[in-house]
Amino acid sequence: MPGPYPGQVVRVHSEGSIDSASDQVNRQLVKQMLAAGIKALTGDARTEDAWARFISPGDVVGIKVNCSGAPKIRSSPEVVAGIAENLVAVGVPAKQIYVYERFDNQLQSVGYPKYLPEGVNVQAAEASRRSILGYDPRTYVETSFFGEEDTRSNLVRLVSETLTKIVNVPNTKEHQAAGITGCLKNIAYGNFSNVDRSHRFEKTNTLSFIGELAATEPVRSRVVLNIMDGLRGVWHAGPFSEHARFRFYPKQLMFGTDPVAMDHKLIDLIEEKRKAEGAVTLWDRSPKHLGKDNTDPNINHYIREPGHVEYASKLGLGIYDAAKINLKVIEL
Amino acid sequence: MLLLLAALPGLFWEGGVNTAPALREAGIKQIQVPAARLAEWKAVSGISAEAGNLQGAVKLLIPTVNYRMDQASASRTPWLVSNGWKFLRNPKGRFYYEVTGKPSAIAAAEALCFGAAALIKVDATTDAAGLQPLAEILEFSSGVHQDPLPPMADFGFVDDGSPAAGEVMNMLVRTNLLFEIVARPDPRFKLTVKLGTKEYPLTEAKNPGVVAQAVRGNLTDEKRSVRIYGSPVVVARLTGSAGRVRLHLVNYSGATRNVDGIRVRVLGQYPKHQLAAAGSAGLELADYSVEPDATEFTLTQLKTYAVIDLSR
Repeated sequence: MPGPYPGQVVRVHSEGSIDSASDQVNRQLVKQMLAAGIKALTGDARTEDAWARFISPGDVVGIKVNCSGAPKIRSSPEVVAGIAENLVAVGVPAKQIYVYERFDNQLQSVGYPKYLPEGVNVQAAEASRRSILGYDPRTYVETSFFGEEDTRSNLVRLVSETLTKIVNVPNTKEHQAAGITGCLKNIAYGNFSNVDRSHRFEKTNTLSFIGELAATEPVRSRVVLNIMDGLRGVWHAGPFSEHARFRFYPKQLMFGTDPVAMDHKLIDLIEEKRKAEGAVTLWDRSPKHLGKDNTDPNINHYIREPGHVEYASKLGLGIYDAAKINLKVIEL
Repeated sequence: MLLLLAALPGLFWEGGVNTAPALREAGIKQIQVPAARLAEWKAVSGISAEAGNLQGAVKLLIPTVNYRMDQASASRTPWLVSNGWKFLRNPKGRFYYEVTGKPSAIAAAEALCFGAAALIKVDATTDAAGLQPLAEILEFSSGVHQDPLPPMADFGFVDDGSPAAGEVMNMLVRTNLLFEIVARPDPRFKLTVKLGTKEYPLTEAKNPGVVAQAVRGNLTDEKRSVRIYGSPVVVARLTGSAGRVRLHLVNYSGATRNVDGIRVRVLGQYPKHQLAAAGSAGLELADYSVEPDATEFTLTQLKTYAVIDLSR
């Protein structure tokens, strides 16, 4: 990261991609969105050529999904399956593809296998919650936030020992602590253990921790592509989706190798939606808006830190300056 | 031999000889009984009986973990009910637990960890199934508890016998900060903790967690003999000397759930190791690593109690 296309973001929107009344996804349209997006990013005429810029047949590829809001919002299985099909099309054997997430119960709740090409692996780091066995004991970020005894956050073992490339598939969500949860947070908190300690209290440590984790090797160099699933979205009380009124349907996918530029666009999107709903900005830090009852869109558990995206840019992970971000918009 | 027996916990049993079948079925081989019952038990084959007495012994809390998920607090760290500090304060004291079933195994593990000859009183109506967890841990301990080693510590603690000092020691034990009780600053330790001093004022001792954090900060994590990563419910104790150490690990939640892996860091280089984990025969340490200043390894499962011998 930020890969070969710093500052470049492709947004593909299709009104028919998901039916907001039934929540049903149009799989064929999603395939077309995936093809249009990757080609627009690379400039290639053929989808296979575009994918081949990132993935080789010998790669072992992880598709990092986000299931923290499952079952209502998660990396859509139709999108994930479409990505896996493209990987197979460029010659990656299905057995060399891993759809992975940290928590097994969340991952299983989605039911990815029935959508995926036969042979694709679906794997969680924590078969039982808090188990450390799925993490690499030798690759960790060590820091103390509040005197916690366990000061290490370890990298998912699959990433350090097996995968050669990662396609990151975050959702389109507001996050109560981080402000948004997009590319960076799915790379960081989705690949390391013991991260919830960064947001135990109203004032969190998400501002710096997300970027620091995402910048850690080998995860930094293994994430080669981000495809942000915005068929569905959450504009408040994320990353979960317990309240239907806070869901919405952007009906889009975003593409890029620059997680910072993409997350900046996500901030803009969530801000726009919150403004339309009459909710306070993500940047609000007023204590009067802190509280337990976040069924009110103006009440939040934490002081949000959307500044984590700009912080990550200072670590060299991408371009934050809006004037330097080039957004291509495709309508299908 | 007497010393060895004195360092082991034992079952205190008030039942009559008619309960012998339940004890045998559970695997209990040794008991302590009230003096009035000793003669009848001496006649029972397969179970060794000695006279025991709880009079004057200190009754201990049942070791466990209170997760307290329903209570607001400044920390989500679970509350460990540990008696370790009581053993350290009074190493020659007489103690007993009153507990049955799986928690009795945790009680025995705790006593073994701290080298305490605590008695475990189990209700005499308990059947074989209720006795079995205790029997298993006692059987396990008989295989590993030879040649007791001296406790190791990273700093001294001046125990004035006050409740405040007790609470602080409790917190130190629960957070795996290894100390030795000293009468005055000891040159063996670079750090000595005494409540009521400028460094550790009594006002702060009202929140023992604050004192424990201050101690940890002054000691520094790098100089701690033992670090446990991956679980807040495991208490460690280290015995031995520089060339050969024995690490004791107790899972305080073991009555209800296993710990699915902890990463352990022990200061010093120990290329050789031997693991004995109760209820996990054949288990091996994983990702063993000897680094310039420390030895690290993963214990992939901790049911109740494990003993790991490390040597050069």
